[in-house]
Amino acid sequence: MGSKSHALLFHVHAECKTTRARAGLMKLPHYTVKTPVFMPVGTQGTMKGLLPEQLEELDCEIILGNTYHLGNRPGTKVLEKVGGLHKFMSWNRALLTDSGGFQMVSLLKLAEITEEGVKFKSPYDDSEIMLTPEKSIEIQNCIGADIIMQLDDVVQTTFQNYDRIKEATERTSRWLDRCLKAHKRPSEQSIFPIVQGLLNSELREKSANDHLTKDVNGFAIGGLSGGESKDLFWPMVSLSTSILDKNRPRYLMGVGLAIDLVVCVALGVDMFDCVLPTRTARFGCALTKRGQLNLKQKKYEADLNPIENDCPCSTCKNYTRAYLHCIVTVETVACHLISVHNIAYQMHLMQAMRENIEKGTFPQFVKNFVNEIYSDGNIPTWVTDSLNSVGIHLSE
Amino acid sequence: MRFVIKHAGYGSERVSTLSGFGKVKTASIETPTAALLTQGGSVVHLTVDVLAKVFSNPQLLWVPLSNSARLEAGVRAQGEGVAKFSGLQNHITCATLQNVSEITPSGHFETNLVPMWTKNGKKMISADKYMDIMEIYKPDILLAIADDHITLKEGNKRVSKAVERSCSLLDTCVNRYLNSTQLKDCSLIGVITGTGIKEKCEHCIKHILKHKEHLSGVALSGMTDGSEESLRIPIDKFEEILKRICESVPSDLVKFIEGCWSPDIIMKAIQYGWDVFDGSYPTKLTNAGYALKLNFDSHRISDELCILDLNNDRYKEDFRAVLEGCECLACRKHTRAYIQHLLNTKEMLSTVLLSIHNLHHFDQMFVHARRHIASGTFEVYKEHIIKQYETYKQQVLIENDIGKDCESVKTTKKIRVSDDITENVVSA
Ligand SMILES: [Zn+2]
Ligand SMILES: [Zn+2]
Repeated sequence: MGSKSHALLFHVHAECKTTRARAGLMKLPHYTVKTPVFMPVGTQGTMKGLLPEQLEELDCEIILGNTYHLGNRPGTKVLEKVGGLHKFMSWNRALLTDSGGFQMVSLLKLAEITEEGVKFKSPYDDSEIMLTPEKSIEIQNCIGADIIMQLDDVVQTTFQNYDRIKEATERTSRWLDRCLKAHKRPSEQSIFPIVQGLLNSELREKSANDHLTKDVNGFAIGGLSGGESKDLFWPMVSLSTSILDKNRPRYLMGVGLAIDLVVCVALGVDMFDCVLPTRTARFGCALTKRGQLNLKQKKYEADLNPIENDCPCSTCKNYTRAYLHCIVTVETVACHLISVHNIAYQMHLMQAMRENIEKGTFPQFVKNFVNEIYSDGNIPTWVTDSLNSVGIHLSE
Repeated sequence: MRFVIKHAGYGSERVSTLSGFGKVKTASIETPTAALLTQGGSVVHLTVDVLAKVFSNPQLLWVPLSNSARLEAGVRAQGEGVAKFSGLQNHITCATLQNVSEITPSGHFETNLVPMWTKNGKKMISADKYMDIMEIYKPDILLAIADDHITLKEGNKRVSKAVERSCSLLDTCVNRYLNSTQLKDCSLIGVITGTGIKEKCEHCIKHILKHKEHLSGVALSGMTDGSEESLRIPIDKFEEILKRICESVPSDLVKFIEGCWSPDIIMKAIQYGWDVFDGSYPTKLTNAGYALKLNFDSHRISDELCILDLNNDRYKEDFRAVLEGCECLACRKHTRAYIQHLLNTKEMLSTVLLSIHNLHHFDQMFVHARRHIASGTFEVYKEHIIKQYETYKQQVLIENDIGKDCESVKTTKKIRVSDDITENVVSA
């Protein structure tokens, strides 16, 4: 992999004999990450009220920062002076940043995309700003995350116009070349290209094949998880992972629901990120093996169980559902407590998948997981179909 | 609860220990000290695992019923008291009716009822109802219910009523306390009100002392309604009050004081023998984005102000710790610039880091006070702290005069001790 190899070394040490799932180690400049991995999102250089120590105790090995937000506040000047985001937020493990393009298109109504880049009005002073592939990499070089993302041409997932999707897919490939050219720290940071093509398999195939020829250390699968039906979602994931080579990590962007994680690991994905565990915590929603609990509901008023009985997180060790019920959405502490549990839940799920892949028991694990989370027996067709495609037959 | 005076200073200041608690048998609390303010049962902004990173020993917790009333059903179902229910069973709880630092509208009063302001508005509460809940909460220390949410400026009529009502409420509390099996491990504290008018206050103290054999201490209240104005008492006026109350309260009683008092007033109160302070001051600083950084070395004159306003842009690129040399987790690992960024982006970690520092540093102020009392040098330490606070106050007055109008938003933020109570009461 040439000169960039020491910014990321990926070694797969166990492969599932039935599915495409694999367990590996991804050695990054700041930390060696066990895959498959879930990466919690700390948008503005902080994880929703949790200390870096707490994230380490929760076994988080890599977290996400958002380039668009960090570029605005604290801004590149501050980050440059302090020596990058790791130092600024006192986080010694690995970091990944997005390109800023997605935020721009989703947050700012006035974004206009041209060959040069994404043009938008500053929400602060109304001036016009252009985010080009070069600019995105410049900011990400300054933030200093271990893995950084190319700027891609973002189109809403459910968008139908073929010409526009084709344009976006092809432009994403052209922008990748500009990003790689602008990259100033290849020995410390790895740029991941983003496989585009939305729900069009021909375009997605082309996109993935284009990226394969590039000197990069890993790949992201983008343009999914944007409100499309699950029946359209999983074949695109499957298609992408079947083309991308086995020796480099595959990152599926914006996916974090437990069942999605399990299915997509089976389809061969190594990395995930999502705001779900911390966002739902704010509304009093706790993630469990049997689905989500809304702790605001009156039925928890005198429920003296922890969120989950066998969860070893500090929230479950010290607090009851009844106590959380009293303080959810009222005290900041409630948000911290549920975030801790929800992140612990995601981390344990990933850990369980890694262990089962290593032991060769992954297919059985998947079956048990699906049966528990759909304890009413109503397993969605897309789950059955997607797992069938990689050799797990739930009805057997 | 056992109260043992270990060192008496030259004035009335003293170092003592509180021990022999019913639930946490090994706990020993050294005084003078401040209790940690809780809200909804938790130390404000801190989960139990983060609290353990700030303090390794059992701490005294200040538990106002006004901000924890919604826990009642759960605490009852569990049956092991409010501390256990809130995940803080390794700490010592001190329960009271109201956080007197919360600003509440002045409401109407009824003979045997006291208004309690919660997030959902006003509830009228009787001594019996209060004791019913306390039998469920099972605190280690219990401040009697009183009509004490009044300022020193209150007129004769209102003060008379407050004292009269508080005496009768205390009688009920003592009576219930003596007959309660649930509260057999709990220590009862009489609450002094009517403080602004000497005769009324003395009447109140006399009445409390009638119950002395059943009481472990007294709590000085009836000085503030939580408003910034009521907290701005000239220090000599305060001193006069402390002095006369100190003289009429026997020294074997633990002395508590309620209110969000600043370090200068705390030093004066320690001088007159006060032992336990309500810990709302560091929380108030945290909620405003401020960090306390007193210099404890009385041989060194410090040139930086003793309170930093970290909202200020001037810290944007200040990569020093809030207080260099401070051993708290926030100062060991994080910078002023980072906290400024967290405040600027309204991220919750700002209040967590500020709480960690402010609680640690505020506690250190008491650690040093105890050390100085024991070695007979408290007077110098006291003056050293008072001077730093006065320099800060003068500086703020100058700055406020310059930017009065644009500061108005911040002033409302400054007086906010717990979140949104006034807003909620108004809209209720
Ligand atoms: Zn848990
Ligand atoms: Zn500190």
